Formats: sequence, C-alpha cells, structure tokens
Amino acid sequence: MTTNKSLFLIPKFITTPSQNGVGRYVCQLQRVVLKFCKNHGSSRGIREFIEYDLLNFANKNPEVVVYLKPRRHRGPVIKAEYLNGDDQIVFCHNNTREEIAKWLNLLRTQSGNHDGTRLRKLWHTDYPSIQGPWTPYTFRDPALNLAEFPNEELSRPLDQPKTATEELDELFKKQQESEVAESSEVK
Amino acid sequence: MVFTTIVNCVRARGPDEFWRKRRIFKLAAHYIGRRRNCYTVAIKIVHRALVYATKGRQLRKQDITELRNARIIAGCEQHGLNFNDLREGLLRCNIMLNRKTLADLAAWEPYSFKALTDIAKQKTKEDGFGSVKDLQAPVGVITRGMSK
Repeated sequence: MTTNKSLFLIPKFITTPSQNGVGRYVCQLQRVVLKFCKNHGSSRGIREFIEYDLLNFANKNPEVVVYLKPRRHRGPVIKAEYLNGDDQIVFCHNNTREEIAKWLNLLRTQSGNHDGTRLRKLWHTDYPSIQGPWTPYTFRDPALNLAEFPNEELSRPLDQPKTATEELDELFKKQQESEVAESSEVK
Repeated sequence: MVFTTIVNCVRARGPDEFWRKRRIFKLAAHYIGRRRNCYTVAIKIVHRALVYATKGRQLRKQDITELRNARIIAGCEQHGLNFNDLREGLLRCNIMLNRKTLADLAAWEPYSFKALTDIAKQKTKEDGFGSVKDLQAPVGVITRGMSK
C-alpha cells in the first residue's frame, strides 16, 4: 500500500515502459553490480549469496549482466542499472542471504528506480470509457442539430403542465376524429 | 590566573537541539525567506501546515463524496428519477453498487447507468414506492412480475 507519509515523496501515476508485458516482456534491469568485502562480517550474507545463489540467478536471467566487485574494507552494496538509465543503490550491510535474494528479485522485476515516489492511483487505463463518456448531448434528441433558435417548443420549461386551452384543443381533436371514424363506419 | 571552575557553571543545552530543529527545517525546506531558515518562525508555520494536512484528510473524503453524489444525482435526474428512489430500487433488486461505481458509470458509461435507472424505475412501479408517482414504465425492462 502506498502512503503519503513523507511530504517529499514525488507523486506519480503508474506507467509501464512502452506497454511492457502486454505483448512481449523485456526485463528492464540492464546490469547489476555486487560490491562486497572478502573479509568483513557485514558482507557475509552477500558472500553466501554469491557462493550459492548467484549462478542460478545469472542463468535464469540471461538478459541481466552481473558484475562482481570485491572491495576490501568497504560495505556491501548492490547497484542496479535499468534500461531507462535509472540507478538504484541498495546498502545491504548485514543482510542475510535470503534478504539479498529478495532485493535482487525486486530489482529484477522493477521497471526503474521508484524510490522516493508514491503512486497516486493503483490503476491506469488508456480507455476509461467503452460506451463513450457522458456529454450533454448523449441523451438529447438528434433533431436538436437541425433546430433553429429561437424555438418556441424547445424554450418551454420541461415541467410546465398543459394549459387548459391546450387540453381543450386536444379533446376537440379527439372528438372530431372519433366522429369521422363513426361516420366512415356507418358508410 | 586560570579560573577552571567558572567553566563548570556554564549551563549546557541539550545535545539534541540540532536534530530536533532539523526535523522541523526538513518540513519547511520549500518555504521562502526566514520561514525556511529561522526556527522560531518555521515552527509556527510548520505546525499550521501539519494541522491543515490533518484537517484536509477529512475534507478530501467529504469533497469526493460530494462530487460522486452530484454525478449520480445529475445522471438519474436526467432520466426522471430521484436519487433516493434509485438507491431504494437498486437495493430491492439486490444490485449493491456503491457510490463510487455508480458515479463512475454515470460519467463514463452513460448507457449502463440508464439501464440501472430503468431497472430502479420498474421496481418503483411494481412495488409502489417512490416520490414520483406518475412515472412511465421504462421500455426494455422485462420482469414478468418475478422481481419480488
């Protein structure tokens, strides 16, 4: 879950680099550099990871280039570089082998460095509407396109009841029609 | 002569003053002038900003609810139905859509929303509730009297 804990997290929307995964999936991680010390205890986890899990990782992800940099008397660091040019540096001082595996998994599946950002929405769509968004003309009669204004009929309020004159007019017309029908039947 | 005991009478301030003030200055980094550099000025403004942030969380929820209500009411009034009747009709038909979905449908899928208003109208006619009594039965809603 994303939170707005810090006032300085940069708010961003979800994006995917050129719709990665819709068709083909391209791993966005370009290279990973594991810097560690050969002696110091803080690098123990990363050294164990290199000894047991690194070859598996490298074989499973042939598109990622893995570099090892043994640096004496320095803390262990994982540096990840992405196809969009992003850098991410993870200080894995005193991390266990499992934690380093988890970090590498995260770096592998990310599309870039999202540190210091928060997601404004957890979804994104290019097509928010299938039926077409509502417009003031969605449920209006298309005869409006040809109407000429000022127009007496259209200018009347919608909830205006019929006037007495109009009702009498209608009654008269109905009466006339029924008379015509009767006379035509008789004939 | 060197007076070494005078130094002991100097009152020492807390060692954490720098870090305590740094916490405030970090939140005031985007202010202008003395508000960003002087602690006594910054603390007042930062406290106010935090209070606004706390109050704003409630206001945001209120604003969004108001917006959604407005969208739903506008949508169903266009089709000649009350908001309350729409809610009651959909509830009795077991269509439990929340305001968020209804508002999204009203804005983005107007024909689906019209279908929902038609269902609610049919229900009001069949059950005999609702404030608009002389509603015409909507076209295209076939219940065969089984809607109860």
